[in-house]
Amino acid sequence: MGQPKAWLEWHGSTLLYRAAAILARTVDGPVVVVAAPGQELPPLPSNVSVVEDPVEGLGPMQGLAVGLAAVADRAETAFVCSTDMPFLHPAFVRRVLRALPEGTDVALPVARGFRQPLAAGYRTALAGLVRDLLAEGDLRPGMLFKHCEVAQLDDERLLADAELSRRDPELESVVNVNSPDDYAVARDRPEPEIVVECFGALARNGSHRPHTVRAATLGAAASAVGLTLSRHVVAALNGDQVTRDERLPLVAGDTVAFLSADAGG
Amino acid sequence: MAPGGFFGRALLVDVTGREAVCAPYELDERVLRSYLGGVGLGTWLLHRLAPAGVDPLAPEAPLAFVFSSLVGTPLTTSAKFAVVAKSPLTGLLTDALASSQFAIAGKLTGHDALVIRGRADELSVLLIDGDGVRLEPAPELAGLTAAEAETAARARFGRNWRTAAIGPAGERLVRYATISHDGRHAGRGGLGATMGAKNIKAVLVRAATKVAVADQPGVLAAARDLRRRSFGPATAKYRELGTLANLLAFNAVSTLPTRNFTAATFEGAPRLAAEELHELRGVARNSCASCSIGCEHIYSRKGGGSQRMEYENVFALGPLCGVSDPDEVFAASARCDELGIDTISAGGTIAWAMECVERGLLDEPWLRFGDGAALLRALDAIGTRSPGLGDLLAQGSRRAAAVVGHGSIDFAPQVKGLELPGYEPRSLQTMALGLAVNARGADHNRSGAYEADLSGELDRLAGGSAHVAAAVETEDRAAVMDSMILCKFLRGVFDEPFTEWAALLALVTGWPVDAAELRETARRIVLAKRAFNLREGATAADDTLPARMLETPLELGSGRRAALDADRLRSMIAGYYAARGLDEEGRVVTAHPDLLLDV
Repeated sequence: MGQPKAWLEWHGSTLLYRAAAILARTVDGPVVVVAAPGQELPPLPSNVSVVEDPVEGLGPMQGLAVGLAAVADRAETAFVCSTDMPFLHPAFVRRVLRALPEGTDVALPVARGFRQPLAAGYRTALAGLVRDLLAEGDLRPGMLFKHCEVAQLDDERLLADAELSRRDPELESVVNVNSPDDYAVARDRPEPEIVVECFGALARNGSHRPHTVRAATLGAAASAVGLTLSRHVVAALNGDQVTRDERLPLVAGDTVAFLSADAGG
Repeated sequence: MAPGGFFGRALLVDVTGREAVCAPYELDERVLRSYLGGVGLGTWLLHRLAPAGVDPLAPEAPLAFVFSSLVGTPLTTSAKFAVVAKSPLTGLLTDALASSQFAIAGKLTGHDALVIRGRADELSVLLIDGDGVRLEPAPELAGLTAAEAETAARARFGRNWRTAAIGPAGERLVRYATISHDGRHAGRGGLGATMGAKNIKAVLVRAATKVAVADQPGVLAAARDLRRRSFGPATAKYRELGTLANLLAFNAVSTLPTRNFTAATFEGAPRLAAEELHELRGVARNSCASCSIGCEHIYSRKGGGSQRMEYENVFALGPLCGVSDPDEVFAASARCDELGIDTISAGGTIAWAMECVERGLLDEPWLRFGDGAALLRALDAIGTRSPGLGDLLAQGSRRAAAVVGHGSIDFAPQVKGLELPGYEPRSLQTMALGLAVNARGADHNRSGAYEADLSGELDRLAGGSAHVAAAVETEDRAAVMDSMILCKFLRGVFDEPFTEWAALLALVTGWPVDAAELRETARRIVLAKRAFNLREGATAADDTLPARMLETPLELGSGRRAALDADRLRSMIAGYYAARGLDEEGRVVTAHPDLLLDV
């Protein structure tokens, strides 16, 4: 790839920033990035923390153990993903996490013909079991699944979710980039379609009415309607989070409301 | 000699009987510097002049019109005054700010404050100018709107008088009656009832003197600079659409209280939105006296006439009551102005009553959410205090809920008796804290904590320690702006507010005041308000929100739920008490020996 995947440019930030920010805007709990020993990471969203994997070379199971342990005191379940999934959609994350009811340890998508252990939901209490398996030399996720209750989610089950079916009908959430060509193809795709509304003094010529733009980040969406996020201009994403983070990744189906931060009266 | 911008004295006026008796009341420079004027000085005066435990509607309860050093200067938005009293609605301190020529003329009677006590034998007007005070019987003004009374009084006494008057609701002691002047209102807390209880229909003031500032060239230069900045992006919203611009934006972020806070989005919001109305209606703009922003937007009404519309009156008489027809909301707003009642408390109390009807707790089947005619009928019942429903609702939602019972207090939209403004606490959790702890009750002007929620810097759905710090900061800023006095709509033009405000104050007064001193002043004013309330019987139990807010999560438009449970609110309140140096019961016990300046 020429450089670590985490650092690959993605619409003004990086693949890692995008993956972390997508999770941060989707889940209520903590988001952590597991870094290899000594690994230098690109900038991350302010609400994302980093934990260092003390052991190198043991593969994704080791990262899984470290990550689950890092959030176990604050969350019962966690969505785990790799850094190179540029089309991960919040609807996919929500669908997977909903498949982790009481008694299920892993929600494992089997999407686009493959098991997706790095786009799956796990009970954080599994951290100890994963560590034990690693100590016994079992480095493959498949060994973990033999020891716990796994709910497999095939394409049909995944797409039974109306939101996911509407937003990501091809399940491109699980597409990753493993070669320069993969990356080039992914990067050349058009930005997602976003619905934009402008309110108050930010609305010009009826622009408070919803209209569609293509934008991969909040900053790009603002530019598309002639705005710059600032102390006086903020955005509400899908009617809840209010933010000025220009790098916040957007996905198909998002609605962005631009409003004046000077809300008094 | 008084510092620049001040006279160094208040005027105490007793209207008992048929003649007004007045006496000067010296204001030591230390008091002026410690409380600044406006709300701060008014609070100090109430501590001194209101007997402990006084009935807010009793003759001895003081009603204070308080000015500041900035009034009469060319600084934009400074033509403001505070009306301060013990609230008939909350039983605690209330203060309402308003902007008009009354501020300038009132101050230039030669006083930093006018304090009225007593009760006239008959409905009267009180005149104050350089020659002293006069009480004139005015039975012919009975039942007139405030605007009509103003016109009649100036016709009788001369056009060079400036007037603050009450409408029929004030005369009838509706507990959220307003005091009006130049079409503006000192709106919250029932100050109009306090004036009505004194049998004063109108206070007329006439300028008689001048007041010097410490650095006239400096003040002029600062005024030019502030005026220039007042045309920038921080005030664009107010200039271009007015406060009604909030409505559609708040609807988009699920913080538009709807049908008595049972929802936070309103399907009829687009019909009431400033953006739509500007396209469909004729709109005129107007400014308060000495203001360069010009936030007032006056819309034409179908069938003729026009009405000034603000976010708060549209929210309270529209979505909160489920009414989406703009002309019905315009009519209701106009009716509130004519009666002289606070639109927020009126809308909140009626919305509560509508929910009571839905639940079978009130036998008034005509009073339904969404029915604009019913809204007008209810307003008339309140304004005339018609027996039964009118009398009940004239007391405000808290007292009415005490009468109706059956748990209706849980959904009465009030804090400390004051009805909630149009900011949904569950989806604005810094604001939730601000609403809960504020001395005036559920109030958006003494705690602009919503700013933090909408800044993009905090998670507005997960209140915590950062939200506490933000609420304290916005409350401090409000305390200074409300005491200096400057319009809050200017706040966005200041990059370093306390530093810049200190510089303005230094130019006017000559005091070598700095940002640190102003921060301490803010803290003193906030604590002095709380100390007054504690003296009047308030406890930590009053620092809360209606049970509905703490027990019923809110469905957001996005599908997420906004929940603010009692534990989270209590935790934030505990943090607030700690930040303010209060004890665990919210009492003022810290080392502030000169909190009330025993001078």
